[in-house]
Amino acid sequence: MSPIIQSLLLVTAQVIVLLTVSPFLVGLIRKVKARFQCRQGASVFQPYADLAKLFRKQPVISTTTSWIFTATPYILFASTLSAGLLVPTFTTQTPLNFAGNIIALVYLLALGTFFLILAGLDAGSAFGGMGSSREAIIASLTEPAMILSIFAIALTAGSTNLSTIVHKTALLEGIATDPSPHLMALAALFIVALAETGRVPVDNPATHLELTMIHEAMVLEYSGRYLALIEWAAGLKLAVFLSLIANVFAPWGIATTLAPTTMGIGLVVYVVKIAGLAVLIGVIECMFAKLRLFRVTDLLGVAFILALLGLLFFYILRS
Amino acid sequence: MQISPHTGSQLVDLCSALLLLTCFAIVAQRRLSACVDLFALQSAFLVLTAALVAFLTGNPHIYIAAGLTGLIKVIIIPRVLKKVIERLNVKRELVMNINVPAGLLICGALVMLAFFITQPIIPLGFLLTRDSLAIALAIVLIGFFTMIARQKAVTQLVGFLVMENGLFLGATAATYGMPLIVELGVFFDVLIAALIAGIYTNRLQDAFDSVDTTHLTVLKE
Amino acid sequence: MHILLIALCLCYALGLVLPFCVPRKPQTQGIVGSVCACAASLIGITLGLSGLLASEPMTAIVASPIPLLAFAVRLDPLASFFVLTISLAGLAASIYAMGYLKEFHGRVSVAALAALTNGFLLSMTLVVIADNGFFFLIAWELMSLASYFLVVTEHEKADVRYAGFFYLVMTHVGTAFVIFTYLILFQSAGSFSFDAFRHPGQSLPEGMRTLVFLAALIGFGTKAGIVPLHVWLPYAHPAAPSHISALMSGVMIKTAIYALIRVYFDFLGGQFPWWWGFLVLLVGTLSAILGVMYALMEHDLKRLLAFHSVENIGIILLGIGAGMIFQTYGLKEFAALGLLAGLYHTINHAMFKALLFLGAGSLVYATHTRNMEEYGGLLRRMPWTGLFFLIGAVSISALPPTNGFVSEWLVFQTLFLSFQFPDLFLKLMLPIAAAILALTGVLALACFAKAFGISFLALPRSAHARHAEEVPVAMRIGMGILALLCVGLGLAPMIVVPLLDRITGPLTGVSISDKVLALDGWALAPVNMEFSSVSPPMLAAMLILGGLLGLALAFLFGGHLVKRYYKTWGCGINLSPRMEYTATGFVQPIKRVFSTIYQPTIKLETEFLQESRYFAKQRKFEFHIEPVFEKYLYDPVVHIFMRIADRLRILQAGSLHLYLAYIFVTLVVLLLFAV
Repeated sequence: MSPIIQSLLLVTAQVIVLLTVSPFLVGLIRKVKARFQCRQGASVFQPYADLAKLFRKQPVISTTTSWIFTATPYILFASTLSAGLLVPTFTTQTPLNFAGNIIALVYLLALGTFFLILAGLDAGSAFGGMGSSREAIIASLTEPAMILSIFAIALTAGSTNLSTIVHKTALLEGIATDPSPHLMALAALFIVALAETGRVPVDNPATHLELTMIHEAMVLEYSGRYLALIEWAAGLKLAVFLSLIANVFAPWGIATTLAPTTMGIGLVVYVVKIAGLAVLIGVIECMFAKLRLFRVTDLLGVAFILALLGLLFFYILRS
Repeated sequence: MQISPHTGSQLVDLCSALLLLTCFAIVAQRRLSACVDLFALQSAFLVLTAALVAFLTGNPHIYIAAGLTGLIKVIIIPRVLKKVIERLNVKRELVMNINVPAGLLICGALVMLAFFITQPIIPLGFLLTRDSLAIALAIVLIGFFTMIARQKAVTQLVGFLVMENGLFLGATAATYGMPLIVELGVFFDVLIAALIAGIYTNRLQDAFDSVDTTHLTVLKE
Repeated sequence: MHILLIALCLCYALGLVLPFCVPRKPQTQGIVGSVCACAASLIGITLGLSGLLASEPMTAIVASPIPLLAFAVRLDPLASFFVLTISLAGLAASIYAMGYLKEFHGRVSVAALAALTNGFLLSMTLVVIADNGFFFLIAWELMSLASYFLVVTEHEKADVRYAGFFYLVMTHVGTAFVIFTYLILFQSAGSFSFDAFRHPGQSLPEGMRTLVFLAALIGFGTKAGIVPLHVWLPYAHPAAPSHISALMSGVMIKTAIYALIRVYFDFLGGQFPWWWGFLVLLVGTLSAILGVMYALMEHDLKRLLAFHSVENIGIILLGIGAGMIFQTYGLKEFAALGLLAGLYHTINHAMFKALLFLGAGSLVYATHTRNMEEYGGLLRRMPWTGLFFLIGAVSISALPPTNGFVSEWLVFQTLFLSFQFPDLFLKLMLPIAAAILALTGVLALACFAKAFGISFLALPRSAHARHAEEVPVAMRIGMGILALLCVGLGLAPMIVVPLLDRITGPLTGVSISDKVLALDGWALAPVNMEFSSVSPPMLAAMLILGGLLGLALAFLFGGHLVKRYYKTWGCGINLSPRMEYTATGFVQPIKRVFSTIYQPTIKLETEFLQESRYFAKQRKFEFHIEPVFEKYLYDPVVHIFMRIADRLRILQAGSLHLYLAYIFVTLVVLLLFAV
């Protein structure tokens, strides 16, 4: 099989895996929360039905908005999906590995955030502006922590390209076996993941009260297929972060070659790992209350310090 | 069960790192009962570290010190402090001298400072607990910082106790524990200090109807 | 190439003179001046490109009767690159001016404005191609004077006069340090020619080199706008007409960067102790973070853009500083990478900052106000301006697939390569600088989301905004050229990097073009493909394909699209502009979180209804941020100078006899000395 066809098939496979698994993760978290609250909860596959319903509905668009409003869902979907293609999922042989490293990942996600902030302001309602303003401060504080923590890991693997990091860690090549830097970086990255995907204790994804919503406030005016794309993109973002954490810190089981059997095993292991992380997030959402907006900055400050400590430990403890 | 020295030193490093993590958590906390809980957790990690060192080096008297630490710092002192908090009906730090993000950044800088200072000493120390010495110094500095940065007497006491934890870790790391007599003396001193602090906090409450130590400045007139 | 240079000077000279030859017709004056500037810029672009591609730098000398002064020019790759940047910005600005100058008909002399623009562009070009220190200083001074007169175009306004005066003082303080630098170099070189500076008769002792380094940093830094010497920027750049602000912010401050590179890498031979590079890095980091923080709090669109120039100069210095540190440790390839990143960001910033200023100028042209809080909903009334401003905003926020992303990516990579250093301190400090750069980048994103969102989206907040009209064609073309360049420079690093390599090669001693480009130029991979790589064209393709996939999925699952339009829900009340978020409100969380830096003071006054104290009639909210630099640095210095001047005033007693006595005493003393 020519390498180009092979790469195309791998990319398509990754796209399909990401798109299919993201609503499942969202459903799983909701199910875990429901169970903790002694409810049956909706089926784990409910988000698929929700998406299908939303796509079919007629969207209502505010007369105050401009073309930014209708373009944003597509831009958000495209940027999150592109970010997802840079992260290894069930195999480390991602063909688009060369297209971007950590910085590219962070800035692709930032592209989506930028347009979402604009869309929040576009409808002219106070809810949207409020969501945009809050999202701005939270995004500002998560980025330094994210970059530092992945950089600390990148140093151990000798590369800043994500698939290469995972590939090397999985094969135990050239890593410092000291777990302390990894521990700090994992803690920092987990807090960042909670903040970026809008989970408790940073933001409550199930609320529509103006005091408590951030992401929901920005997308309040969306409906129909636009809302479907935005929800899907939010699920994709969750999948991207969980894949990142699962594969960078616990890469065992991932397919490092192109043999079909290893890829099959890799796929199963991947789904199990991110499902496990989703359950963990669900449990955390039930254990903690959502923080006040200005206490969230304290939490993100902790994440930044943890990432810095991870870097420090890497340099100090290795010598 | 045989553990290779390399894995052993990694485990000790891991425990020390967890100790440092709890220090940061204490600095970032506003609720007093959470501070006390985190202190208890920290002491538990300390017991674990000491026990590990004792196991790996075969020094039995470190076990005794670890046991004493467990008894006093994980069980007795947190109980006493929790009682004090309940009686005083104080739940949280309302005003911080130095706010949380700035405090965290300063603690990060203190950790870096501790590492830079202990850099020349590290090659001379024992292989097993080399890096724990730097972390111990960092914990002492952070404990001291907590005493400066917080207003409530209970939190200041927790800071003092964190300092003592750091000293214990440092002693274990540098010389595989102090002579038993010294350790016993230190423990009883700490116990008495905690009891006295409990009494003085009550007196503060009775005199000023608050446990804000800034009120003590009134006494100078 | 000599012909091109002569043609360039001729066009600018025509531009200086011709506008005055058409009296009483401001329309023609403006067009004539702009056409001359356009032609000159086009020649400049050709000149710059040929200079970059030439194998030998072109030189030319016209001797002069004044000793030490020779009108020598030299177009080596570094100079050509800056000529290219100046000309590109000049082209866009002069096309823009053809429509924009209508604003000034009848109020000021359009001929003077057009002529001064030509003079400004000419002096900037001369600054970067001068090969003689004395000539450089003359061109530098001409540049400062031309820009001063342009800044005070609307001199009937008091704040414009103040801004001009402040700018004049600061730029001359900087020039004093620059003269000092050149004098030290002259002392050991024996002549003012740059060749002599490069190979001085006796090499400078260490102390003198440090003095040159510091004096150059302060002198050129004042022009560039580094913290704490940046205070004049937010006054001067907004006060000038918008196409001039674009040129000042886009290229004038870059001439200072050119001079810094010239002094450090060329004259001082690329040999410096590590703390030089670290100081530049520190200054860069400080400028970046403080620039963007103060920009966030501004709601005057042009002041916001001026603070962003401070931030981007900081980013450029980050790249250059890191490169300098690498040079100290002999890691020449990484030094070249840092320098390349800094230069790439220079041209990128010139493009998108000029675009943003031209956009701001269009907004002011259409609404006659600079206050962002009075804009709103302008995207529907000015679609082209909005689109171009959006491209500029996306570029300055360093988002793929624009040019800002590529140059910031390169700066990040330079900082990440810090693990090569043997020194632990540097190994830790550079990633911390990278984290601060990340914070800066995302704060810039927030700032431009605010700037674009408040200005162009939702409902108009004032009558000005409700009656805004799209700007004339010339202005749109000017902006359009820059927007195309922003996207082009981002998608085609494979063209830009080899050109920049021709500059960094001679300066650091290694050519890294093949080590930075990979996959036949489709990817950027400094060091090697494994360590890091990015492919902007591929990212752009992924984004476009992702968007198309989204569309396809929407049609697959949803069928044909039928939209319904309705008003935004305003909780039962008709939606009014008062309900929208304001710029001040948007940044309130950021102001609170970073209040340690801002030290805000807030005043809230409420006027209640006479009948009942429960109902408020009017609320007035005022908030100020502490002008830290002005209060603690500039005011005391000015105060001291005023005190000294007061003391010296005793000499000026006003009495004629006293003055005659002064002259008499001086004469007697001189006669005694002559004997």
